[in-house]
Amino acid sequence: MVEDYVFALIVVVLLINTALSIYGIVRRRSLVKKLISLTILSDTVFVSIILVGFIFKYPAVPPVYSTGSPEEAAFLSQHAVDPLPQALVLTGIVIGFAVNALIAFAIIQLYRLVGTTDARKAVKVLAEEVAE
Amino acid sequence: MIVTLLLLAVAALLSLVFVYLAVFERDLMKAIVFSAGQSICYSIMLHAMAAPDITMTYVAVSVGLYSALLVFVVSKTERYEEV
Amino acid sequence: MRTSLVVLLALLGAALAASGALVALGLKAPLALRELGLYYVLNTIRDCASPEAVAAIVWDYRGLDTIYETAVLYFALVGGLAIFRAAKAQGFKKPVGLTELSKTSTRLISLLIAAVSVCIALHGHLTPGGGFPGGSALAVVAMLAVPIYSVNSMLERGITSTKLIAVRGAALTALGLVALLPVIRGLEIVTNQRFYPGAVLGFTISGSISMYNFFEFMAVASGFAALALYLSIPEEAFREVVERG
Repeated sequence: MVEDYVFALIVVVLLINTALSIYGIVRRRSLVKKLISLTILSDTVFVSIILVGFIFKYPAVPPVYSTGSPEEAAFLSQHAVDPLPQALVLTGIVIGFAVNALIAFAIIQLYRLVGTTDARKAVKVLAEEVAE
Repeated sequence: MIVTLLLLAVAALLSLVFVYLAVFERDLMKAIVFSAGQSICYSIMLHAMAAPDITMTYVAVSVGLYSALLVFVVSKTERYEEV
Repeated sequence: MRTSLVVLLALLGAALAASGALVALGLKAPLALRELGLYYVLNTIRDCASPEAVAAIVWDYRGLDTIYETAVLYFALVGGLAIFRAAKAQGFKKPVGLTELSKTSTRLISLLIAAVSVCIALHGHLTPGGGFPGGSALAVVAMLAVPIYSVNSMLERGITSTKLIAVRGAALTALGLVALLPVIRGLEIVTNQRFYPGAVLGFTISGSISMYNFFEFMAVASGFAALALYLSIPEEAFREVVERG
């Protein structure tokens, strides 16, 4: 009963976080604020993937052997969490950091060329340059 | 079991507060601090969900590298965002 | 300030109420592993000689995905350096680091972080960890050292971004070699147990998993350190290039 309530609470909170970060990407004017909201969005997706692999039993242990005996294999098959979502998220975190670092480099270079990090003003300045 | 559930529930609600503050804050340095706070709440949730690999990677990347990278970017560009 | 507090409390209340409504509608928490997860947990020692299921999935069962992800990391770094291509790495005219207190405490902390990161990376086939957490932890040291000691002191000691990119290239070449070596015997690439030994002299090395962890650790650490050095080139160096172009 309590486990169901906490599971539902985490699902609802992650959905609200996704909605807030998408609002931050779309409606905030600064490019750096858009980057911060993008990192929050990707982190929320990673946590929701790990939540899919979690089991609400006591005790829930990570899927690591210490002795390798058959009794331990039987214990882990009942009480270990799923290892596959964790492997996918490990890959995703590092790729996400590399791409966000590339976006940060692009923001700095844009500021040097245009003089502002406001999205609407930058579009105006670039449109004038193209018109010339 | 009750400790795990309590950790999960409290960390989830606290992360909601930090995400709201990070998105709606005009001073970008404060927004970076709130984003780091949200990452700490998520890493508490990941530890309670028995994922030690992910916790280690997430703390190093999100609390350490993202905050440093964003502070570099904000110090080279503007600090305040206009509404 | 008043409106944001009200909105925040309303969001919290809505979250608590919505989860109650979901439970009343019949949402159930998961209580058992899926079939695929159960197969990985039961067969990891037999197939990959590694008691750590996550490392076995990342480097053996799904090793090709990780090789491609390393390639994506490499190309993102190359793209970032191409954006900053016009200026050479240089320091400030009057270098000044932070105070003596920061420098001493950074020295102590960097030593501890370096030891812990090497331990995480090299032991990644037996305990949770691996190449990615170890490399990221060492990159935090690089990101700390650049503002505290000032870029000039790092460039004077010979730690330039070109050398770090060369280290990264060497580590990636070694990673590619470990993946391609089984082709000599006619097996597929990224083969683990049919080509590499599972234990050497009584120590469990899990075939290619520990080698992958070490090379990935070197590649990730040097790549992110080169990123930190490129980010701290002073703005005057770029101003002339932008004015000219």
